[in-house]
Amino acid sequence: MGETEKSIPQHAIDRLKGLRGQGHPGGIFTSDFSVNEFLLVRKAGFEPVGLCVGSCIYHLGIQYANWSANQEMTTLSGAMYEARERAMARMKEEARDMGADGIVGVRLTVKRLEWDENIMEFMAIGTGIVHAGGHQGFKGVDGAPFTSDLSGQDFWTLLQAGYRPLELVMGSCVYHVAHQGFFQSLGQIGRNVEMTNFSQALYDAREIAMERMQNEAMTAGAEGVVGMELHEGSHNWKPHIIEFFAVGTAVKPITEERDASAIPDPTLVLSVNT
Amino acid sequence: MADGPDPASWTRAFAANTLPAPVLSRLRQAGEGRLPWTSTMMPAELLAARTHGITPIATVSGTCWYMFGRSWTEGHAEGWRVAIGRMVLEARSAGANAIVDVKLRTVYPSQPRSGLAASGMAASMDFTVVGTAVRVEGLSLSPDPIVATVSTLEFVRLLEAGIVPVGVATGAKYEWLTPSRMAILTGNYGTTMNTAYTELGAFWENIRTNAIAALRAEASTMGNGVLAHTHFGEILKQEPANDRSPPMYLGRWIIVGTVVDTPRNAKIPHDIVAVVDMRDDASPLRRSGDRRHTAYTLETEQDGAI
Repeated sequence: MGETEKSIPQHAIDRLKGLRGQGHPGGIFTSDFSVNEFLLVRKAGFEPVGLCVGSCIYHLGIQYANWSANQEMTTLSGAMYEARERAMARMKEEARDMGADGIVGVRLTVKRLEWDENIMEFMAIGTGIVHAGGHQGFKGVDGAPFTSDLSGQDFWTLLQAGYRPLELVMGSCVYHVAHQGFFQSLGQIGRNVEMTNFSQALYDAREIAMERMQNEAMTAGAEGVVGMELHEGSHNWKPHIIEFFAVGTAVKPITEERDASAIPDPTLVLSVNT
Repeated sequence: MADGPDPASWTRAFAANTLPAPVLSRLRQAGEGRLPWTSTMMPAELLAARTHGITPIATVSGTCWYMFGRSWTEGHAEGWRVAIGRMVLEARSAGANAIVDVKLRTVYPSQPRSGLAASGMAASMDFTVVGTAVRVEGLSLSPDPIVATVSTLEFVRLLEAGIVPVGVATGAKYEWLTPSRMAILTGNYGTTMNTAYTELGAFWENIRTNAIAALRAEASTMGNGVLAHTHFGEILKQEPANDRSPPMYLGRWIIVGTVVDTPRNAKIPHDIVAVVDMRDDASPLRRSGDRRHTAYTLETEQDGAI
């Protein structure tokens, strides 16, 4: 018994004996954390409160592109952005109702509904967490819950680095890449050439998406954006129509920027197991 | 080598909520150490188990092949509940304190259900749970072994942190929606503009909210938290029987989670060190919780780690 008692707390031993606790006044939390995530969120001084989900079923408007023009499909850009924004807003509302300080591990998903190619289901899902000591300094913009797509592990590491998450920021741009004219194609037969109008279109679309995300971060009062990802997707649209979607977590220093020398340097390890 | 139980003895045993005599005897012998133990543990897990006074006894399982007469969705909650109950029965007979590394599995007979046609008919499905029954050194027999869906390595790490994974909870709800005339007239169904379908959206959210509430309700009988690892949701449209009637929508959500019991703000005893792995190829540090359950494999499933 000695060994068991040393490392396992009494509460856990009682439960293993088949003794039920006296009930928990704080109620039940729900979360989709893994074991390690749960441990690290607790280590960071937070407790999960509940799963926060927001969804939006959205009908994408119809817009016709000019066959030979590089152009943003503003109707689709707007749709993709608004639908995600609505899903996130619903998720944040759930978090606020639970009294959460913020949401970590946010995932955004887009799903086409079977029966209509213009209808998509957007979903935002994450775990609402609250500071165990009641510290109020971790809230997001204007006292609303913060949102972040960082995992529980990355959340712990971010706090160690002296930053806190502020808001999941995003930018979307749906772009129509121009088709080449007949004579232009004719002139390129048998030659290795860059298709400059294609290159330029992709640059343009990416720029727009990233700039929109950056603007959101600026509005949120962030110092920077971590874990930024750039997705390219076509969501079964016509060929030549691509969505660029930039998403990341806007962060801000905790109180004031921590001196870099105070942050523990990661230890280098070489694992020998496979 | 004893013969297996004859098939009819299972039927009798299920009805009496017990196990056939040969099975019972095998589990008792394993519990008393007169048979070799069997376990899904790998050597690293065995090591962690031994240093924490945990010994494996036997592999235990429970199966329930369930026919969905009334509701496909709600049948899932029932199917898992029965299968888990049978596994716990085996573990209790083996004198276990806990079942670790419990995996949820399922077999879809022939055609996997897709669309309304399949879900509307009397489909059936198998619910199976498999795990390793373990005893914790120094503890007496437990009348109610806990059910942990995590591996032994994670099991001991959770226990050290004062978190006990105690069982599995399910929340499964479905609803039908007939769109309101108003919503159709105002273009909420079928339009060429960018439109958020608010009526359908609210309907959809309501089902999910109910499913989570059912999950919480079941979990509250076991512990105070749920780490929900399996979310399965879909929304289906049924075309109208004639031109004048509106289409109907069926929405459903199934959430399965691991229930934990833990005091609020329990301390994590270990220090955490940030490390950088120097290997170039796939690093064992990068591996997080793998997908363990194969119950819902449709692409609409979202799978967490536990």
